[in-house]
Amino acid sequence: MGLFTAFLDWLRSLFFKKEMELSLIGLQNAGKTSLVNVIATGGFDEDMIPTVGFNMRKVTKGAVTIKLWDLGGQPRFRSMWERYCRGVNCVVYVVDSADHENVEIAKSELHDLLSKPTVSGIPLLVLGNKNDLPGALSTSELIDRLNLKNFQNREVCCYSISCKNKNNIDITIEWLTKHAKS
Amino acid sequence: MASNAQDNNAPLRMEGKKEEEDEEDYEYSPFHGIEKGAVLQEARIFHNPQIDARKCQQVLTRLLYLSTQGETFTKTEATEVFFSITKLFQNNDSNLRRLVYLMIRELPPDSDEVIIVTNMLMKDMASNNELYKSGSIRVLCRILDSSLLQQVERYFKQAIVDKAPVVASAALVSGIHILKENSDIVKRWGSEVQDAVQSRNPMVQFHSVALMYMLKNNDRLAISKLVSSLTRGNVRSPLAQCLIVRCVAQVIADSQVYAGQERPFYDFLESCLRHKGEMVIFEAAKAIIELNNVTEAELAPAITILQLFLSSSKPVLRFAAVRILNRVAIEHPMAVSNCNIDMETLISDQNRSIATLAITTLLKTGNESSIDRLMKQMSSFMSEIGDEFKIVVVDAVHKLCLKFPSKFRSMMSFLSSILREEGGFEYKKAIVNAILGIVRTVTESKETALTHLCEFIEDCEFTYLSTQILHLLGEEGPRTSHPAKYIRYIYNRVILENATVRAAAVSSLANFGMKVPALKERVRTLLKRTLFDNDDEVRDRAAVYLKLLNKQEEESKTPQVLRGKNISLSGLEQSLREYLATPMMETFDIATVPEKELAPVVNMAKSKDTSGPAALDELTLKSDFEETLSSIPEFADLGPLYKSCEPMDLVEKETEYTITCIKHIFGSHIVFQFNMTNTIEEQVLEDVSVQVDLAEAEDYQEVCTIPATKLPYGVVAQTYVLFSYPEGTMPFGRMVASLNFVVKEIDPSTGDEEEEGFEDEYPLEDIYLSPQDFIHATKISNFRNKWEELDPETEIADEYGIGVRDSLQDAVEAVVETLGLAACEGTEAVPPNARSHVCLLHGKAVGGMEALARVNFGIDRNMEVAIKLTVRAANADMSEALHAIVAEG
Repeated sequence: MGLFTAFLDWLRSLFFKKEMELSLIGLQNAGKTSLVNVIATGGFDEDMIPTVGFNMRKVTKGAVTIKLWDLGGQPRFRSMWERYCRGVNCVVYVVDSADHENVEIAKSELHDLLSKPTVSGIPLLVLGNKNDLPGALSTSELIDRLNLKNFQNREVCCYSISCKNKNNIDITIEWLTKHAKS
Repeated sequence: MASNAQDNNAPLRMEGKKEEEDEEDYEYSPFHGIEKGAVLQEARIFHNPQIDARKCQQVLTRLLYLSTQGETFTKTEATEVFFSITKLFQNNDSNLRRLVYLMIRELPPDSDEVIIVTNMLMKDMASNNELYKSGSIRVLCRILDSSLLQQVERYFKQAIVDKAPVVASAALVSGIHILKENSDIVKRWGSEVQDAVQSRNPMVQFHSVALMYMLKNNDRLAISKLVSSLTRGNVRSPLAQCLIVRCVAQVIADSQVYAGQERPFYDFLESCLRHKGEMVIFEAAKAIIELNNVTEAELAPAITILQLFLSSSKPVLRFAAVRILNRVAIEHPMAVSNCNIDMETLISDQNRSIATLAITTLLKTGNESSIDRLMKQMSSFMSEIGDEFKIVVVDAVHKLCLKFPSKFRSMMSFLSSILREEGGFEYKKAIVNAILGIVRTVTESKETALTHLCEFIEDCEFTYLSTQILHLLGEEGPRTSHPAKYIRYIYNRVILENATVRAAAVSSLANFGMKVPALKERVRTLLKRTLFDNDDEVRDRAAVYLKLLNKQEEESKTPQVLRGKNISLSGLEQSLREYLATPMMETFDIATVPEKELAPVVNMAKSKDTSGPAALDELTLKSDFEETLSSIPEFADLGPLYKSCEPMDLVEKETEYTITCIKHIFGSHIVFQFNMTNTIEEQVLEDVSVQVDLAEAEDYQEVCTIPATKLPYGVVAQTYVLFSYPEGTMPFGRMVASLNFVVKEIDPSTGDEEEEGFEDEYPLEDIYLSPQDFIHATKISNFRNKWEELDPETEIADEYGIGVRDSLQDAVEAVVETLGLAACEGTEAVPPNARSHVCLLHGKAVGGMEALARVNFGIDRNMEVAIKLTVRAANADMSEALHAIVAEG
């Protein structure tokens, strides 16, 4: 049975193979690398070391191969985000929704980045991570605080997720695969 | 095909259509005519979502080719390329990966940008693929800072002992790189590196030995231990073995060997001569030959081995051997002479470099009879070798001529024939130097040499050599049998050459005119013509010499002017300055410089300690002073003079008055002797004394002052001040001094001094007194006994940092000088490369009180020197006083 579905998957992938590239950005400790791990393997690790530079992973979901550029969130890397956002299918912006103090910084970094002409028109997915923690911002609060309504001429979506509890990961993947090119 | 240069796809096409290529494109470079701009355009394919590994490799290769060809990339270009390359990470094509690693290493972008690849490289380093591991390690060691290095340190450690040689080597080599910046980290890898030394892989072994050596490089003892363990172990890699030979050579050079004693590790070097690998044998032979004070017995086995190399079929071995033998032949011609027969055959070697070295070695070792033959052989192939080898030959001929002066004829003709041939400056300079050297030592050769040189300057393109030869002609030409024949050569220079050579020729001509009376009129005519030269210097010289010739002052005065004999230049400068300050009504008379002004300026004390052969002949100086002082009634009962300190200047150089102070130490008194010179001609000083205020010298008491009654211009006069101090102490002191006097103007027209003078005061620099003024530096032979004799109660020890020094030797000299003690038992000399040193010092103070000091020196990596000073003395006060010197200084 398993063998059969695998064969079917393979057949399907031969004909309906899709590829996409996306970049994953956000302040440090927002949970970007954790999200990559959850999407790729489903595993979650409390103990993460900060990403120095970037991380590249290729993940296959159904017929879609996703190339993930997971970028470091420390201030010294933020100026380089833009280089990895050019020409991707969508930009995923991860926010620590329980860290109220840094939401303002997250907002200004996001607006700075998206104001650049090289990334105009690229769809944006904002993920409020860590919704398992008490006091986490809800989706609507996040939209408000990050001033997401302000973006014109760009598809913007916002979910509240938890990498730890795997909450809303499925709809995230669904949204992403929808944006793959054939 | 003419469009090759523009065709950037050429390399690709070449692979596909190789058969169709024309024959003329046989040696066609795949990189022919590529351009930076085009390649940078191509680099955009790195951004493609689907990476074409093959295409990317070609673009990367082209980028690397450009950068190795010296093409530079602007900052934006480099950044752009770098970020596009980061997109190629994690590709599964291993060749592409290797190129990516290489590219990041070769084309390093800004350090704050390159950090972006850290995470990916760390991942590769922790992967299971050997190639990825080694490649990423080599990049990481270049880009990581110390904090990140600590994070990945354990991976480096693991990599060093990795099974795969390529990984272990990469980690070891990285260690060598990291050592430069972050030595602390690498120092913790000692045990892993030690393991790697035992590796079966030659390359790993080589790299680990190298790193091991560098780790211990600062510690002589550890190096010595390391070397002895390495020489016992079985190191398989020939490269590692060579490295060990070099380390051993270094250890031998650093260790002191006393006569008759067996040299450490010599056995090892000798055993290496029997090694399988030729490079090890050669390295060992070279190490033996380069030993300090190597003996003939030690040399013998090395020379025997090199002799075998001489008849090897490999040109490189023959070359290496003959080159080393050539070098050793200078000092040990006898040892090399065994190889003469082998070297004779090498003269006809196809490789001209080998032949040159062989023939010059033979010249050094050969005997008189073989010289003519060798010279003939040599001339035959001089045209076939490069300038640097020609210089070797010229040097050899020069040395040979000094050895066998009777053979100068054949050598001189050889030198002159090669002088006429084409050649660069260095080569010609070597020939001219050789000829000049021969002229100096072999007088018979002079005339021939001068003729050859005359011919040479007729057609010499080097100003430096022309002027040098013209000077020699001027010196030597007049003394030859036919001076007249050189005039034509010299005057030709005046007509044909550049200004510098013309000026030299004018001087040379004038020399003939002055030394050869018969030629004087003719030279004068020639010099008159040069008065119209368009160069200032040439005209000036011609005018000066004409004047001198006209004055007829041939031998008496002119040579002095010409060669500046017996004139102190500073004296001349001083009198010229003074002359310029006067209205310049009279002509400046050079004769006044040595007699009138120079002599008085050099005063009694100075003449003894600056111009004497030994810097300071203390005994005679002391007795001189003793005599002078005891003739002054006020000083008659002070007792014996214990010590006179070196004079110190109390004013800046070249001011109105020069004043030096000499401190004379007596049992309970101290006399300041002030030597004063008045350098103002229009003034005479009267009633001159130095007033000394005891600013910070409570222990001293002024007893009396003896003024100088008169201080006319240019004369040295003395004034004295006497102080008393408590007997048996050595008090510190700072005194403020000023010169008090009555000035009287001198009427410049009559030379009489005016009646009325006015009092004036002239501030002087402060006078310092410190314990070392009271102590005589005296050497003793048995420091230890003396140390034991003195009361341990008086011992005081303390530590001081004395800042950054050039070397330990430098620090030792500085401390010894500050303390004013003498180093005993040869401890003033620091062995080469030492990191620490102990210096034993001794001195004797007034009343025979002795002081001993043991100074431990240590120098760290930053050349910061710290000392520990332990003093024992006749009493605790004295010990304290010595410490105070260091603390103050």
